[in-house]
Amino acid sequence: MILALSGTSNGRLAAQGFERLAARTGTDMDELIHHAEGRRVVFDDARHGPTPVGSSPEWSGKEAADRRYSPFTINVEHDKPWHTLTGRQHFYLDHDWMHEFGEALPVYRPPLDMGRLFGEPRIGPTGQREVVVRYLTPHSKWSIHSEYQDNLLMQTLSRGGPTIWMSVADAEAIEAADNDWVEAVNRNGVVAARLVVSHRMPTGTVYMHHAQERTIDVPKTETTGRRGGIHNSLTRLLVKPTHLIGGYAQFTYAFNYLGPTGNQRDEVTVVRKRTTEVRY
Amino acid sequence: MVQQRRDPARPGVPRTYEDQERWKGGWVRRPDGRLVPRAGGRIKRLATIFANPVMPSIQDYYEPWTYDYETLTNAPLGDDFPVASPRSALTGKPMRVSWSANWDDDLGGGPELASQDPIVRRLGDKVKLSFEETFMFYLPRICEHCLNPTCVAACPSGALYKRVEDGIVLVDQDRCRGWRMCVTACPYKKIYFNHRTGKAEKCTFCYPRVEVGMPTICSETCVGRLRYLGVVLYDADRVGEAAAVEDERDLYEAQLDVFLDPADPAVRAAARRDGVPDRWVESADRSPILALAKRFRVALPLHPEFRTMPMVWYVPPLSPVVDALTRTGHDGEEADHLFGAIDALRIPIEYLAELFTAGDTAPVDLVLRRLAAMRSYMRRINLGQERDESIAEAVGMTGAEIEDMYRLLALARYDERYVVPTAFGVDEADKGVIEEVGCSLDFDGGPGMGGMGDVPFGEASGRPDAATVETFHALRDRQTSEGGPEGSATDGRVNLLNWDGNGRPGGLFPPRRGGGTDDGGGRGADPGPPEGGRP
Repeated sequence: MILALSGTSNGRLAAQGFERLAARTGTDMDELIHHAEGRRVVFDDARHGPTPVGSSPEWSGKEAADRRYSPFTINVEHDKPWHTLTGRQHFYLDHDWMHEFGEALPVYRPPLDMGRLFGEPRIGPTGQREVVVRYLTPHSKWSIHSEYQDNLLMQTLSRGGPTIWMSVADAEAIEAADNDWVEAVNRNGVVAARLVVSHRMPTGTVYMHHAQERTIDVPKTETTGRRGGIHNSLTRLLVKPTHLIGGYAQFTYAFNYLGPTGNQRDEVTVVRKRTTEVRY
Repeated sequence: MVQQRRDPARPGVPRTYEDQERWKGGWVRRPDGRLVPRAGGRIKRLATIFANPVMPSIQDYYEPWTYDYETLTNAPLGDDFPVASPRSALTGKPMRVSWSANWDDDLGGGPELASQDPIVRRLGDKVKLSFEETFMFYLPRICEHCLNPTCVAACPSGALYKRVEDGIVLVDQDRCRGWRMCVTACPYKKIYFNHRTGKAEKCTFCYPRVEVGMPTICSETCVGRLRYLGVVLYDADRVGEAAAVEDERDLYEAQLDVFLDPADPAVRAAARRDGVPDRWVESADRSPILALAKRFRVALPLHPEFRTMPMVWYVPPLSPVVDALTRTGHDGEEADHLFGAIDALRIPIEYLAELFTAGDTAPVDLVLRRLAAMRSYMRRINLGQERDESIAEAVGMTGAEIEDMYRLLALARYDERYVVPTAFGVDEADKGVIEEVGCSLDFDGGPGMGGMGDVPFGEASGRPDAATVETFHALRDRQTSEGGPEGSATDGRVNLLNWDGNGRPGGLFPPRRGGGTDDGGGRGADPGPPEGGRP
């Protein structure tokens, strides 16, 4: 079913799509149409072994026997305009609101000081050593969100539970060592995790990989006495006006394709070493 | 540093496994030119057979654990939702996880751990352990299926053998008596002891698949398409001599010399005389391994200084250099600039040399220059410029060779990456005809990917399914029929060495009168394969 609906496996669809694309762009797609015609990958092929698929207009790269997929090769080689106002790849966002916010070109914006700007309560010092760090939540290497994350084999690859990655200098600052329990606390919540100290981390930034489930090895926190949270316990969505631009060239929303970037990952947190016994 | 703990199914390797002063794996060359296992010859082995002093303990791997999953469903109503906390798989008690199969993955553990890497210790200051100066790369490791395996030499029971027809090193599960000398002898620490079965286990190179011309599971499922499989013909009579060359830096060349050129008419004639099927010779001719190792010379053996003549070879990585060059105002992809930068790569060339060439930097330098040249040469083509033969010449290749190498490394399709002929007794028509089998360590109760669900010890001994070239058709029949491996030749036999004392395994007592079998409840020990795997 899927194989019949995708242009990559159903050449007739791909050819039709490229014909339509050629009509819209007025450029030469004959090679792609020609290659697509007659291609058909069926379930039996997939059962037999890995089967190469072909180019299709829903993707931006070309596939052929003498090359590997690389994004945007259809744009480059067949003059298909990019889905932007100018039809080119560009960083410059020509929209009044973006100009007003001074963000027509990519700029660095430090995390907001929520306490000063919005009167959010500050995390007061507890007398313990602590570091204030940027808190990033990248996708993990071995899992897709929580999928594959919490089975025993995956857990035995590392610390057997949720971890936060920290630089050597930050760990020294809170007198914590690799595999120690730490707590990350900010205005949004509390996370209890083990520390992975690594010299691949820059000082001042910690990672907590995406979607480490709360069902395994998450103790009660020292800070609240309640169960610790997950990576998103420390984040919060903030909508800013530029997110609301829509219906304007590349600002037009398309599912899983174009949309405003999230800024909830731009968080700051306090990290402290846990001093009391771990309780579940 | 190098993340070499990858193994599809196994509890990592003992920490610092490469330090043979400590672990005593591989061979040493005696002054008279003979090789003896580093752990000692026959007499020493016999003397230490009951208490091998260099056996890695389970703590050297890691203490296995599971979780009290039941809490998740059985916990009483409370303020907080329940979580499963770790329990030792050895004692069942709550435990603090303090080491695991991939603890130092992605430089986890920081400089403190990285500095314990035996190669880092040897190189000292050359290896930087700070942010933006450090490096890491992955080194997926399986059994090396060595030409001169120490494990085979060290087994007191003769249970380990290297198959003559395809070179795969296997443990005969019937013969293995669990002496574990192979665990010590293997310098790569890729033989494991199964505490449940009391037998040694290792990567089988997925021989049931390989016999019918299919690639191993680890190769086929590699998302990066970085594994290649192929036949390499070699002169078995010269292996001993090559493994015993005096200078360990000559081992790489010596091993290359042992490889035979399948295009050579003399080699073809000898192969025919020795009964090697023509399709094997043809396969060897198309072998991506021979191409990478000998024709292009970009693949290198892992730790040749262990003198086992390992047969899983690696293409060492170029590390980020283009950006660094560009930042200094140079064209980072230009050949001369790239060549000049090879000494300044973030991964010190000495580090790679310690891994792949017993410390000799010249072969590694050549590989990196060739990879850099390929980049530069192909970039011109990509940009529609003229082909520049001088780039190829600078690394002792021709443009056509570089393009061939590029094709093999970057584009090669399935049947170019895996050139696997069917085995001797298997017809070409049988190619690919096999029920999908998983990783060899993945049988019931085994510690493979699917088998770690419960504690890897206890009553239910594992029963590895047997499949050999000799029994291919029998295997296929069995796979397509209802019955399992039970009910075959070994019915009614019991191996008391495997019996852990619990229950009464079938066959412990003779059947009761009236034909009924003993129903004593104990599944206990069912000895391994119904057929031995010996050639």
